[in-house]
Amino acid sequence: MGDYMMKLTKFLTLAGFAATLMTGTAYAAPVDLTLWHMEQPPHRVQRMKELLDEFNAAHPDIQVKQEPQSWGEVYAKAPAAFAAGNGPDLLFTIPDFTTVLKGIDAVVPVDDLVKDLDAKHGFIPATLAPYQYDDHVWAVPAYNMAISLWYRNSVLKAAGVEVPKTWSEWQAAAEKLSTDGKYGIGLPANKQLYTDQTVYSVMVNSGAADIYKDDGSIDFDKPATVNAYDFYSKLAKLSPADNGSWTWGEAEACFASNTCGMILQFGVINTYDTQAEGDAADLGVAPVPHADDQSESATISYSNAIMLTTKDEAKQAAAKVFLAWLLEPANYGRFLTMEPGLFLPVTDDGAKADSFWNDKTVTKYKSQVETMVANSHAGKLFGFTTGKVFPSIGAISAQNVIAETLQHIVVDGQTAADAVKGGQARMSEIAKK
Amino acid sequence: MKRSFGQSLSLYGGLLLIALLIVLPFWWVISGSIKLPREIIQRVPTMIPESFTLQHFEKLLQASDFPVYLINSIIVASFSMAFTVLLALPAAYAFFRMEFPGRNALYRTILLAYAFPGVVVLIPLYGLFAKVGLIDSPVALVIVNVAFALPFSIWMMRSFLATIPREIEEAAVVDGAPTTTILVRILMPLIAPGIASVAIFAFISSWTEYLFASVLIVSDARRTIPVGFAGIIGQYQIDWGLLLAGATAAIIPVVILFALVGRWFVSGLTDGAVK
Repeated sequence: MGDYMMKLTKFLTLAGFAATLMTGTAYAAPVDLTLWHMEQPPHRVQRMKELLDEFNAAHPDIQVKQEPQSWGEVYAKAPAAFAAGNGPDLLFTIPDFTTVLKGIDAVVPVDDLVKDLDAKHGFIPATLAPYQYDDHVWAVPAYNMAISLWYRNSVLKAAGVEVPKTWSEWQAAAEKLSTDGKYGIGLPANKQLYTDQTVYSVMVNSGAADIYKDDGSIDFDKPATVNAYDFYSKLAKLSPADNGSWTWGEAEACFASNTCGMILQFGVINTYDTQAEGDAADLGVAPVPHADDQSESATISYSNAIMLTTKDEAKQAAAKVFLAWLLEPANYGRFLTMEPGLFLPVTDDGAKADSFWNDKTVTKYKSQVETMVANSHAGKLFGFTTGKVFPSIGAISAQNVIAETLQHIVVDGQTAADAVKGGQARMSEIAKK
Repeated sequence: MKRSFGQSLSLYGGLLLIALLIVLPFWWVISGSIKLPREIIQRVPTMIPESFTLQHFEKLLQASDFPVYLINSIIVASFSMAFTVLLALPAAYAFFRMEFPGRNALYRTILLAYAFPGVVVLIPLYGLFAKVGLIDSPVALVIVNVAFALPFSIWMMRSFLATIPREIEEAAVVDGAPTTTILVRILMPLIAPGIASVAIFAFISSWTEYLFASVLIVSDARRTIPVGFAGIIGQYQIDWGLLLAGATAAIIPVVILFALVGRWFVSGLTDGAVK
């Protein structure tokens, strides 16, 4: 009887323990994470859904849901959402957007996570740099985009032009390609972000990458900047007359329709392949040419990243599991190829991942993508080049001061020197506020 | 007076020019939506399509959430239209016929709603709706749309009411009709063109509203056409065929609405009302 009672007691104790365990695991509510991203086109939303479904199935204790937003509104919407207490837990970002949310204390540093991920996957330094300041890392790089020079091999060959490496070669090529209703180059002159990007991609190739001094004062008005604007305005004259209203799509269409001989663009592969039905072997891509007195090409690059925006520790832990999963090479390539030929890897092992290179479009345009990845390593971004980040960069970027300075030359007829002087004054005025 | 040949030529030439200015953009969008991508991106657009495809519409309906956005827009615009008309009519009648202190001042003051750009009240409204749990709800959009359409609708409706001879109301009063009956049974049929105008105004205002819909709605499944569509077309890479197909599909409900209520515009306002 004593044995029986002892066995029964043991059994009940074990059963109770097991029941406690089961209650604690099988019936625990999963941690719900809300992810806001700005990848709104349907095919990107679909790819994100596939990845999230896979992650959620493999991690029943974490459930991530996506809520696609628009870049156009998220600058107002996210601060409002955080103020109202219903912001997301994870939020895609670009460097200047991070400064906005950091300013309202909505971003959680991810130093330890980035350190672990860097040790495991090896972040490309240019993709991490824009998020490292004030002694912390403010976001986990997710994908990179870098501007390159796009052309058609057959068009250059027919004109007897080599792929330009320096500005003088570039201008000569653009002039030679400007015949028979064709434009040698298509460059925007709109007061818009795309023009900021193309102008800056010329600036970095004349040694004018830094627009701030270490003390936060503006360092825009200098000979290298004037040279860059002067050169850009000469090329802009060889572009279609409606370039004053161009954004990315118009430039891409100009190239895809074979009207523009060359353009500066993050990527044209998708449009070239699906809308222009172009030959993969004929599509050429090269680094943005550098000034004759410079030795190497650089470009503008936008490292898109993911911020942790929840103060809840359980959610933070769950979000880190998700981010680590996303950057695993087996998953990461499928994330990047939600937009093949545009989104570039930010990690060393991601750049070698089969899941990236096995994509149908990436395989077809392998040599072009390899060049894009190589170009992206030399990427810089205005306001994020000195290791110090100043809050006014958000307003300078939002007000398109770089593009506005160009308009003073191509629309108002100012000299490059006067326009850059005016740009310096505008930026200084913004920085003082 | 008979027009000279020169006058007729100028008149019809002018009318043709205006018609072309209005019709050509629509034609360019609609014809572009059935062209192959290669033809769409040509630098010089072809006015008569050289190719034909429905692939953009297939993609729009099958690979995007456009049908969801369309239904959401129809729901939000229809409710906004209905509530605007329901509120504008009695409010306009009150301003038109009822005597109360400060009537004229209030009548002018309601237009102050348009003095502030929407973006100024965007963040406070977000906070307000968040407190009452209306973020990501079409109800929030209906409230905002009605609030912004109502002042002008009241002005429009009042001007229609002002054209009705007072004798008609007086006859109804003599017959013992209460105010509600006068409004519903007597005045409403007479100002049907005004109601139609307000309805169209409210519907189109709501149909094209972007700012509030982009901020107050969070999830993809509740987006309206302007916001959802902006996302579909992309930023760095634009699918021009999808863009044109979406623009074509988006105008269909508005065209249907005009087809249904357009006849009210040409009917006489008080034909046969007073014998």
